[in-house]
Amino acid sequence: MQRFFIRRILQAVLLVLIVLTITFFLLHLAPGDPMSRYYHPDISPETIAQIREHLGLDRPVLEQYVRWMGSFIRGDFGMSLRFNRPVSALLAETIPNTLRLTVASLLLYIIIGSALGILSAVRRYSLLDRINTIAALFIYSIPSFWLALMLILLFSLKAGILPSSHMESIGAGELAGGALLWDRLRHLVLPAFVLGVASAAGMARYMRGSMLDVLREDYIRTARAKGLPEGRVLLKHALKNAAIPVVTIIGLSIPLLLGGSVVVEKIFSWPGMGRLMVDAIYSRDYPVVLAVNFVVAVMVIVGNLVADIGYALLDPRITYSGGGRRR
Amino acid sequence: MMDTVKSNGDCIHHGAWSTGWSRFRRNRLGVAGMAIIAVLYVVAVLAPLFTPYDPVAQGDIPRMRYAPPCPRHLLGTDKFGRDVMTRILYGSRISLLISLLAVSISVVLGSAVGAAAGYLGGPADAVIMRIVDALMAIPRLFLLLTCIALFSGSLWLVIILLGATGWMATARLVRGQVLSLREQDFVRAAEALGAGGRSIVVRHLLPNTLTVIIVAATLRIGGIILTEAALSFLGLGVPPPTPSWGQMVFEGREVLMSAWWVSTFPGLAIAVTVIGFNLLGDGLRDAFDPKQFT
Repeated sequence: MQRFFIRRILQAVLLVLIVLTITFFLLHLAPGDPMSRYYHPDISPETIAQIREHLGLDRPVLEQYVRWMGSFIRGDFGMSLRFNRPVSALLAETIPNTLRLTVASLLLYIIIGSALGILSAVRRYSLLDRINTIAALFIYSIPSFWLALMLILLFSLKAGILPSSHMESIGAGELAGGALLWDRLRHLVLPAFVLGVASAAGMARYMRGSMLDVLREDYIRTARAKGLPEGRVLLKHALKNAAIPVVTIIGLSIPLLLGGSVVVEKIFSWPGMGRLMVDAIYSRDYPVVLAVNFVVAVMVIVGNLVADIGYALLDPRITYSGGGRRR
Repeated sequence: MMDTVKSNGDCIHHGAWSTGWSRFRRNRLGVAGMAIIAVLYVVAVLAPLFTPYDPVAQGDIPRMRYAPPCPRHLLGTDKFGRDVMTRILYGSRISLLISLLAVSISVVLGSAVGAAAGYLGGPADAVIMRIVDALMAIPRLFLLLTCIALFSGSLWLVIILLGATGWMATARLVRGQVLSLREQDFVRAAEALGAGGRSIVVRHLLPNTLTVIIVAATLRIGGIILTEAALSFLGLGVPPPTPSWGQMVFEGREVLMSAWWVSTFPGLAIAVTVIGFNLLGDGLRDAFDPKQFT
């Protein structure tokens, strides 16, 4: 078991290094050097040479690569060309906001998804089950930005119940305690829902399948035969076992949530990493683009690692061989 | 002798195709999906026959700007007085063209990489699959946005990038298939007869993974259409004035309250198209269940 964890962690580290390498070579694949778009046409060749020397762009690619790797691993992502501030400072401001949004949608989709999945499994082939299956198909097929706009139109513009953008109201700093929390929660509802709804559909499907598998097991029949109330059988005996395979889905949904955050943050003016990324692309702010890319990849890799380890810990039946293959 | 082995392989293949097809025809949702897609392609090709208006030329802006849906403009007009329905009809060309070409690129790339990894095995396989893992760790949209930031945008660049960033899942799938197929007797026989590596992959392994690849590709198209729409929505897809659905939704964003039709209908068009491809893909998957080949 321990060997599996160590192996899995080493694998994750290797993946991070490969992601870094890919990012570096992507940057160098682009036409011109990474700075070429910023040279003013009137600038003298000598100054350009100086800038290149200053940035180390005159060194051999391999040396640049090693130095770049080193500074990235230390968390030094260079300076943002647009804000003229360290990229790490920008990340420190935006990452918590992205996490707030993604964790909220994670919780939301786990709760909604598992509830619907369990209900579908228990009332198999009922109207509710069929509606869930069809709804999942539609939700998968709707563009998230369009869903966001439609919800803004309905809930913000027409009904005026929920705010349409930003993390809190203007002047919310003066609110205290419960009022501030309420204000922030209200701002969170629409973006978190839009971001999580597709994953909720996926979750419901997996939970349904997993529950159906478990409900066929002998120990469920035993529990029922013992005369336990159905609610207890479902929640204590079935759900506990059905939830285990679903843990992996949570790990797999992390790239989906982070990818979705780009569009959702942009629409709801949410000051997170996704919006930082899009704005950096508009202004060709490469250091920011590459750093966000890297951070997101690390989050995904770590998320998968945690899900894998969690899965191994949760399910006592699973042992891992040294080869990392499931027996 | 070679021929016998090959025709035998073909025979299995043929049977799978026709039984799969007859199974597919009984799947009402799958057939509905296919009908949606067929209608879309007809509309895309014959767009000028369905509308008297021009998708790009600006209309009579002072009078026709943001005209609500009416008999002459069934889905209303946009900021430049252009007919929204016309732009949606022409926009289907962009969505269908991009998704078809991009999915072809990623299928070819993914099959080549996956087949190579699966057939070569050993260290080559390990190296290739770690790179695939790493690329898959970067969420698709971030990878795409990074590439778009580095190379400036055009229709063809968007197609190439969508294809070039979407092949990894296909590679994994094909590799898995090839790994299980290469141990089978007909491949062993071909090897024993002295067939070269390339010939085995191209003539024996890939044809037997074809249905799996087609099913996976169909299921991917919807995702590609959604990604392309998201890129256009962010202003990083196909440059205007070419009508693309994502960009049309974006253009209506500022006037949601006063001219809801500008965003609403292009978004519906995206949803219907993606539903069509997903239904078709689900139907094909159920009919040509990959499990029967492994």
